[in-house]
Amino acid sequence: MTGGAWLCLLAPLAGTILILLGGSWLPRVAAAWIATTSCFVAFGGAVWAFFSLRSQEGHHGEITTAWTWLQSGSFKVGLELLVDPLSAMMMLIVSGVGGLIVLYSIGYMDGDDEERRYFAYIAFFVFSMLLLVEGGNLLMLLVGWGLVGLSSYLLIGFWHERPSAVRAAKKAFVMNAFGDATMALAFFILITHTNSLSFGALDAHLSSTQANLVALGLLGGAVAKSAQIPLQTWLPDAMEGPTPVSALIHAATMVTAGVYLIARTHAIFEQARTIELIAAGTGALTLVVAGLIALVQTDIKRVIAYSTMSQIGYMFLGAGVGGYANGMFHLMTHAFFKALLFMGAGLAIHALAGEQDIRNMRGLGRVMPFTKWCFLAGALALVGVPPFAGFFSKDPIIASTLNIGWYGYIFYACGIAGAFLTGLYTFRLWFLVFPGEPSAFVREHYHDHHGREGAWTMLVPVGVLGVLATVGGWIQWPPLWTPITHWLAPVAPTLAVAEVSSTQEYVTSAVTVLVGVAGIALAWAVYSERRLAVPAAPFWRRLFENKFYFDWLYDRVFYTPSAWLATALRREFEEPVVLQTGPDLGDSTLATGSLVRRIQTGLLRTYVLFLAAGAAGVVLAFLIAK
Amino acid sequence: MLGPDTAWYLVVAAFLFGMGALGVLIRRNTLIVLLSLELMLNAGNLALIALSRHWHNGAGQIFALTVMAIAASEVCVGLGLVVALNRRELSLDVDTLSELRG
Repeated sequence: MTGGAWLCLLAPLAGTILILLGGSWLPRVAAAWIATTSCFVAFGGAVWAFFSLRSQEGHHGEITTAWTWLQSGSFKVGLELLVDPLSAMMMLIVSGVGGLIVLYSIGYMDGDDEERRYFAYIAFFVFSMLLLVEGGNLLMLLVGWGLVGLSSYLLIGFWHERPSAVRAAKKAFVMNAFGDATMALAFFILITHTNSLSFGALDAHLSSTQANLVALGLLGGAVAKSAQIPLQTWLPDAMEGPTPVSALIHAATMVTAGVYLIARTHAIFEQARTIELIAAGTGALTLVVAGLIALVQTDIKRVIAYSTMSQIGYMFLGAGVGGYANGMFHLMTHAFFKALLFMGAGLAIHALAGEQDIRNMRGLGRVMPFTKWCFLAGALALVGVPPFAGFFSKDPIIASTLNIGWYGYIFYACGIAGAFLTGLYTFRLWFLVFPGEPSAFVREHYHDHHGREGAWTMLVPVGVLGVLATVGGWIQWPPLWTPITHWLAPVAPTLAVAEVSSTQEYVTSAVTVLVGVAGIALAWAVYSERRLAVPAAPFWRRLFENKFYFDWLYDRVFYTPSAWLATALRREFEEPVVLQTGPDLGDSTLATGSLVRRIQTGLLRTYVLFLAAGAAGVVLAFLIAK
Repeated sequence: MLGPDTAWYLVVAAFLFGMGALGVLIRRNTLIVLLSLELMLNAGNLALIALSRHWHNGAGQIFALTVMAIAASEVCVGLGLVVALNRRELSLDVDTLSELRG
C-alpha cells in the first residue's frame, strides 16, 4: 500500500529531475514523454495504493514515516505519507487527470521555444500536488500547499515575455501567500495547545476561541487557494498561462485543494461550526457572484475560469454544511468535465492561431465536429443535465442544505440560482461558439493539423475525458447508491444535519434540472435564435464587467496606499536621510583627517615631547588629586 | 638600614631620568638618542630597586630584571636599525628621517 504511495509521489519528481539534468542535451520530444510517463507511472502507483487499501479490513489507511524530519523537545514531525480513502481518491484524480492533461500538452506546446522548461514545471506541479494530498501530517500538507503555489506561479508566468502573464503570476502568488500565512498561524496555535501537527491533533479538545481561530486560519488558506470571495481575483488573471495549465491547475486539481483541506481537517471545523458555516456561506456567495460575472465575459478561457470559481463554490457549500463526501464527489466530476471544457477550448484556440474572443468564433462546430460534441458533453455535465456527471454530484450538495437551519434555505436558493446561471452562461458560450455557419474570422484563420482537428495527443485526452464527463457520475446516485460516501466514511463521515430524506433529494434534483434546462433555453432564445434581445441594464452590465469592483477595491485599499507610502518614504526619508548619510559620513571623515594629520610631523623628537608632556600631565594630575 | 636614605636614591634616579629625557629630546644623533634611552631605563631600575629595599618587597627587583631584559632587546633592535641605516648610506640624523609625516 505504502509502496504505491511512494511510487506515486516520487515518479513525477524523478521526471522533473531527469528533465532538469538533461537540459538542452535532451530532445524536446523526450522531455515531453518523460513528463507524461512519470505522471502515468504515478497513476499506476495510485491504483496500486487504492486496491491494496480496498482489500484492507475496514480500510482505515496507513501512515508511513521515512524519517523524523524535525524535532524540538517533545515536538516531533516526521516525513510521513498517509494512504487513506480520502488521499487515495485525491491521488487517483490528480495523477489520472494530470497524466491526461500532460499528454495533451505534448500537442499543445509543440513548437514552443521552451518546451523542456514547461514539462519540468508541470511534472513538478504534479509532484507538489501529490505531496499535498498524501502528506501524513499538517506540516507536510503545508509544504505541498506552498509548492503548488510556487509551481502555479511558475506556470502562469511561463510566457515571461508577456508583461500581463508576469503580472498575473505575481498576483496569484501574493494572494496565495496570504492564505499560506493564515494557515501557518493556525498551525502555531495548534502546536501551542496540542504540541503536535498530526491530523489526530485536530480531534483534541480545544477551547472554542482556539478552535475558531485555528479553523479561521485554515479557512483563509482554503479560500485563497480555491479562489473564493474575497480572495478570488487572481484566478481569472491566471488564464494568462498556457491552456493545459489552466485545465490542470486552475480547474481540475490545485484550486480544489481548499475543499480537500476542509474535508481533511473537518474535525476542527466541526468544533468551530460557525466557521464551517462561514465556509459554506462563502461558497454560496461565490457561486452566484462568479456565475453572474461569467455572463458577460468574452474571453473563452475566462468564462470557464469564472465557472470554475462558481463550481468550487458548490464544493465549499457541500463541505461546509458537513457533507464532505458530496463536496469530494463534485470535486471529482468537476475535474473531469472542467478539464474537458478547458482542453476543448484549447483545441479551438490552437486551431484559430491563438484567438480567445468568443465573438469571433461563431460556427466553429462545422469545422471541428469532434471538439463540438466533446464540449457539449462537458457543458451538459457542468449544467447537471442527466445522465451527465454534474447531475449526480451537484444536486446532493444543494439538497444537503435543507435541514441545517433557516440559513440553509438561503444556501438552497443560492444553489438553485447558481444552477440557472450555470445553464445560461455555459450555453451562451456554446451557442456563440459552435452552431451555425462559420464566421469570416473562422474561415480565414482555421487551420487543421494534418487533416484532423489537432494532434492525436490532444484528441485522445479530450475523448477520454468526454467519456468520463458522461459516465463519471454514475458511481454515486444518492440516495439510491452511495459508494463514495461509504468509501470516505472512515475519514470524513457526513454530518447528521447534512443527511436528507429521499423526497428532498428527488425534489431538489427535479428543480435543479428544471432551472438548468430553463437557463439553457434562455441562452438558446437569446444567443442562438436571437428571439430575445440581451437586456440593456447598463448598471448591471457595468457591475459584472468590472467583476463587482473587487480589483478596483483592492487597488484602492491596498495597492494605492502602499505605493503612495513607498513613494513618500523614498522622497521624505530614503533620499534625504539614507542616501545622504554615506557621502556625509565620508566628507566629515576626510575633513577631520586633514585637520588631525598635522600632528604627524614625522619628527621623532616631537613625538617624544608629546609623550613626555603626557606623562608629566598624568603625574601632575595624580599629585593634584592627592 | 645601611647607606643613604631612600630619598637620595630617588633624587639620583630622577636626575638620571631627566638627563636621559633631555638627551632624547634635544640630540639628533641616533646613537646618542639610544644611549639616552638606556639612561632613562636605568634611572627607572634604580628607583625600582631603591623602593624595593625601602618596602622590603622583592617585586621591584624582579621588575628591574625584566626591564634589563627588555633594554637588552631594545638595544639589539635599535643598533640593528642604526647599522641598516648606515649600510644604505642614509643620514643618522633623526630629523631627516621624517618620511612618515602626515
